[in-house]
Amino acid sequence: MPIQFENVSHVYSAGTPYQYQALKGINLKIAEGKMTAVIGETGSGKSTLVQHLNALLLPDEGKIRILDRVIVAGEKPKKLKSLRGKVGLVFQFPEYQLFEETVIKDVAFGPKNFGVSEQEAVLKAKQALHLVGLGEEFFEKSPLELSGGQKRRVAIAGILAMDPKVLVLDEPTAGLDPAGTKMMMRLFERLNKEMHKTVLIVTHDMEQVFAYCDDVVIVADGKIRMHGPAKKFFEDSRLCKEMNILPPALIRTRDALNQNGFEIPSDIADIHALAKEIRKQVKRHG
Amino acid sequence: MGNFTLGRYMPLDSPIHKMDPRMKIIAMLLMLISIFINAGWIGYGIIFVVMSCVIMTAKLSFRFIWKAMKPMLFMLCFLLVINALVVTTGVPLFTIGSFTLYSGAVMQTLYIAVRLLLMIMITTCLTATTKPMDMTLGIEDLLGPLKKIGVPAHEIAMLISIALRFIPDLIDETQRIMKAQQSRGVDMQEGTIKEKVGAILSLIVPLFVSAFQRAEDLANAMEARGYAPGEPRTRYRTLKFHARDYILLGGSLCILVTMIGVSILL
Repeated sequence: MPIQFENVSHVYSAGTPYQYQALKGINLKIAEGKMTAVIGETGSGKSTLVQHLNALLLPDEGKIRILDRVIVAGEKPKKLKSLRGKVGLVFQFPEYQLFEETVIKDVAFGPKNFGVSEQEAVLKAKQALHLVGLGEEFFEKSPLELSGGQKRRVAIAGILAMDPKVLVLDEPTAGLDPAGTKMMMRLFERLNKEMHKTVLIVTHDMEQVFAYCDDVVIVADGKIRMHGPAKKFFEDSRLCKEMNILPPALIRTRDALNQNGFEIPSDIADIHALAKEIRKQVKRHG
Repeated sequence: MGNFTLGRYMPLDSPIHKMDPRMKIIAMLLMLISIFINAGWIGYGIIFVVMSCVIMTAKLSFRFIWKAMKPMLFMLCFLLVINALVVTTGVPLFTIGSFTLYSGAVMQTLYIAVRLLLMIMITTCLTATTKPMDMTLGIEDLLGPLKKIGVPAHEIAMLISIALRFIPDLIDETQRIMKAQQSRGVDMQEGTIKEKVGAILSLIVPLFVSAFQRAEDLANAMEARGYAPGEPRTRYRTLKFHARDYILLGGSLCILVTMIGVSILL
């Protein structure tokens, strides 16, 4: 288990009128090498939860195991830096963190902080930029003169260059155009499937969860409401309704077809397979 | 940053919170003047007791005041050092080599420390019990008469309210950027001086970029809603004095008179 939460609670501004309990006794296990979606309404505690993963926030109660580290509430952990190198956290709208004069310098900033030599950091930066689809013509540009989508990619490359074992992304595709979103999701899928990184992704897009993620964690009111395989969850229309979640379009279409006399099996994975199945069944019935 | 309490509004329900911001500002000014009347330890004792009562009425905790005082401790230490080197009045307390510490230096520093504590108590009583919006309304009204001699009272009030409104946003933004950079291995606490400069740079540059962006967005949003400085404007909230406001005024005037009395008698 690379990540395990045991009864973790977190309170903001404890002891003031602004006091707010964001996490209420979280128990959660994330298996290695999985791609997990964290979903839930705004203010449910998703962002607070993910910030515990690299110890930016510390638990007020409970215990967290992350890779080979154990963080216990009340104890002041030391040398958090090494943990932050292994768990890469990409914030919401990460383009705000860019500050260097050139793209390549900004991306190399992360690995350099973790004690990698200048040369090697630049090499890693180049690889990371290549991964996010930014070519050499961008290396010497100022990050401030790029477009919003390009800035986002530079910021994500800045984390990828650290080569973390666990990658945590807080709404990485918010505000990107459809092509940029697809490219990003494909990249995360590749990092998960080919480079065997454990990926956690906070998202509001059920289509993404359905298409790319193995597991799904639902957070509501600071608690874990559900944790299980994504496909199975979306199949259970009653559970989806209970969680107030609209299943992806493919599943809704299939259910609507089945209610109207079709017999579409549940293993249909994408829109092309669905179209073929419809044609087959239409033909059979003349 | 979450521990930063100086000037922060505390949403509580107390008689002090309900008072008119204009009168609270006037009362604060009167109390501040009282501090600077040299009424000795007796005078400070009276103000301290009165302000403690006000703080308790406002349901604020003394820990809150202490936290606001903390950032000043460094300044006080600095002052003590300067005073120790300069002041040579009073009885010599002890001598190390060619340096002698006089009781005057300690007294002088203690005096300033007490004044500072009282000032923080008074200003905190205003800022912690008055919503920033009410505060600006109060300032605008109090500056109102100066409009006749060309003081742009409304613009000043708007500037202050915008500045106040952005403080929590900028604190949030700073924390957000700090966290983002910490995730990239920036160590704000440890490291060599060169690393620390780099850490600060990685914080300042994005902060400036986003602050300018915010300012531009706000200016556009204000213009889009037809805001033009200097034009006559109506107000949703109008301020009105109540009995409790006159009690506050009377009370603070009493303190001021008492201080003047004590300073003459001594």
